[in-house]
Amino acid sequence: MNGAIVTFKKELFSYCVSPVSWLIAVLFYLMRGFELSRLVRHFADNRLDQELLPTLSYGLSSTFLMVMLVPGILTMRCFAEERRTGSIETLLTAPVRDFDVVLGKWGAAAAFYALLWLPSVVVLHVLQYGMFLDADLAFGPVFAAYLGMFLLAGFLLAFGCFASSLTDNVLLAALKTIMFCFCLLRLPNLVGGSVEVANQYYLRELLDKLDVMRNFSEWFARGLIDSSQVVFYLGGIAFFLFLCGISLQSRRIA
Amino acid sequence: MISVSELTKLYGPIVAVDRVSFEVARGEVVGFLGPNGAGKTTTIRVLTGYHPASSGTATLAGFDVAKDSLSVRKNLGYLPQEVPIYPDLRVVEYLRYRAALKGVPARERKLAVERAMDKAAIADVARKLVGNVSHGYRQRVGLADALVANPPILILDEPTSGMDPNQRLRIKQVVKDLAAEHTVLFSSHILAEVQEVSSRVLVIHRGVLRADGRPDKLVAQTGRSRLQVAVAGAPAALAAALASVRGITPGPVLPAPDGTCQTTCAVDAHTDPRPEVGRRLLQHGLPVCELRLDLPTLESWFHALTAGDIATVPSTLPTPEASR
Repeated sequence: MNGAIVTFKKELFSYCVSPVSWLIAVLFYLMRGFELSRLVRHFADNRLDQELLPTLSYGLSSTFLMVMLVPGILTMRCFAEERRTGSIETLLTAPVRDFDVVLGKWGAAAAFYALLWLPSVVVLHVLQYGMFLDADLAFGPVFAAYLGMFLLAGFLLAFGCFASSLTDNVLLAALKTIMFCFCLLRLPNLVGGSVEVANQYYLRELLDKLDVMRNFSEWFARGLIDSSQVVFYLGGIAFFLFLCGISLQSRRIA
Repeated sequence: MISVSELTKLYGPIVAVDRVSFEVARGEVVGFLGPNGAGKTTTIRVLTGYHPASSGTATLAGFDVAKDSLSVRKNLGYLPQEVPIYPDLRVVEYLRYRAALKGVPARERKLAVERAMDKAAIADVARKLVGNVSHGYRQRVGLADALVANPPILILDEPTSGMDPNQRLRIKQVVKDLAAEHTVLFSSHILAEVQEVSSRVLVIHRGVLRADGRPDKLVAQTGRSRLQVAVAGAPAALAAALASVRGITPGPVLPAPDGTCQTTCAVDAHTDPRPEVGRRLLQHGLPVCELRLDLPTLESWFHALTAGDIATVPSTLPTPEASR
């Protein structure tokens, strides 16, 4: 476990000093701020129920950007860069378990992703205490929504780590993860909408279960935590981290 | 400390390492020689657990590389041929990170890093970003990394590559000093360096271990001295003068336009025929322009070995016990 903690600290430091990370943060905060200010103005102008504001804020384009693009960009260097520069050799010949390395790298990516989201929580409270919102923001729904977001992100980041371990091409690793995110977020909805699928009950049910965006808006965004979805995401994280570990270990297997 | 038996590594149909066996005892500094593509780095990568062997076994510090890779790595400091280091970390930060990764306790880490930096002579660049230091310094940072956890076994793949003569001298001394506390296996292309530093050399060529022994003994065993003779006179007279000297085999005599002629003679091992040759030349009235004995070097021996001029049969390789 020492290896995982050491790797986590080193990787988190690398994220914090990387210009790409800061570029993502600036773009996200700018976009988020702009969208949120428009949303607040819209609610105020049309006298809408302001309790719905946090729920609607999760569906902004900046959220989509964070879910669709950022996991691929954050994880693309995890192993692909190490393989490209050859530093994977010094890493894998150090007395550390391959799974510890995977866990440390994924943990750092997830922690940095959480750091990116943190200001958005603060913004909601600033809006409330700054008298921009009349309604009280309930802690439960906000917590559930962020939990759902982090579980989804953790799942996508785990896939990103796995994709990065398969290649020494950083861009290819990012592209694979972005494609995976797109498939996970959009395909169930697109396929489920077709007439043939609509007539097949089990397939439709399966696609409904896999439709993470719909599940998010129907459950987590409303403050409801569905244990089957929590298990789905945790299982997915464990599955892809396991595959990533196997991918590293395969170098040692004849 | 290092025991390799019948180690074979295949890359598809290509045999990179072919049934290599050797042992390295505690406290030995062993040079690992071979031309480019001979299988040195492949063997080293198998020993470090980075690549698996296709067949055969290797144990380091009593642990099997294939079955107990983690224990092997705990006892190993490794400097790869190309030192790839994270450019966004300062040298001291990188070494602290590596020390932590290698399980050096937090309270001992500062001292361990300082000691490793001292040994590798990189204290002056401790605060520089690793990406900004020169290739030679980066190589030394890699060496400090290998030393930081004070492992009993060190495997150094071309530790002086890319260094200037002063840095090379320093590292040679470091490697010599390491013998007191560590078992060292290091590869190098600079044969004089290997001869000076190591107590024993292993030579691998085309994946096969071709020689194993003390450098001086190997050279003496298989190498021949050469005698350069140049005189002012006729080629026939020189040939006649040398014909009766014992222990030398004269080569063809080549005339020069200035009226001199010269030849190169192969000389039997452990003999110095210069006094006798000089006497014969005087007897034949040939003024001597040059009389030089070139002793065999590891370089000439290595060249002859890898060019196929010397056939080292594995069965004649000295046993590890004998070479100790």
